[in-house]
Amino acid sequence: MRSRKRLSKAEQESETPERLSTSVPELEPGAPTDLELMAGIQAEDPEALSKLYDRYNGIIKALILRVIHNEAEADDLLQEIFMEIWNQAKNFSAQKGKPLGWMVTLARRRAIDGLRKKQAYARAEERLQQETEQQPDAWVHNATEEEIAIGDTRVLIRRVISVLPPAQQQAIELAFFRGMSQREIAANTNTPLGTVKTRLELGLKKIYDGLKELRDEL
Amino acid sequence: MNFEQFQNQARLFVIGALDEEEVSEFEKARRKFGQKAEDFITKCYSLSEAFALSLKPAKASDQIKARLMEMVRDRKKA
Repeated sequence: MRSRKRLSKAEQESETPERLSTSVPELEPGAPTDLELMAGIQAEDPEALSKLYDRYNGIIKALILRVIHNEAEADDLLQEIFMEIWNQAKNFSAQKGKPLGWMVTLARRRAIDGLRKKQAYARAEERLQQETEQQPDAWVHNATEEEIAIGDTRVLIRRVISVLPPAQQQAIELAFFRGMSQREIAANTNTPLGTVKTRLELGLKKIYDGLKELRDEL
Repeated sequence: MNFEQFQNQARLFVIGALDEEEVSEFEKARRKFGQKAEDFITKCYSLSEAFALSLKPAKASDQIKARLMEMVRDRKKA
């Protein structure tokens, strides 16, 4: 994995989604790659899991929290998810993607399942409704000036996302972080199903294209 | 379904946004396009990674890792 590129203020100001060039968490020289850690976990080496946890627990917990909005439940789920990573590591194949993508997919599914199992879905939906009314473009508004001054992966990704119209951001947020089907999004936002489909397709294509230069490093 | 339509569906698929009735059509197209389809789906997972990386990392309780590692060691012993 390549080292993270720190952006100067001038670079940040001139940065456009077409010129993105940064990477995910920086590794110390000689540190094992994600793939090496996954191989270690597949060989049942607890130290490999420990290192993978140290590297990604913050990102995975943030994802869980975004879905379930409950600190204590998020911690419990985080533990369960890393246990599942340990148990399911044999199913990971480097040919089908990178370890982070596999972990995010697993974590997102578990978080959404957890939300539904605990029958907190309705309550979370109410909270979401309130959040949506207050912050229809939460991805954009969650970034403070201080955060924007830090040229890191998160800020650069948010810039890619922030060029989308708020309605497209909202549709993607409901699908990804809430696990809503297109029909559920249509019902929840009082929007025709065809419009929801178009918003999702256009929004995802724009983000995908904007991330093209990041893709090799993500 | 042509490949451009498949690409649109693949992006929805990786974020879990395909409706049930669309999944069978998608899987049919996936088989039709073979390795080209698989390669594109793999690339689409960068979307999931990016959405997770767009969030500010959250701090987990210090006890979580200790409990996790204890469970892993117990599992290994069993």
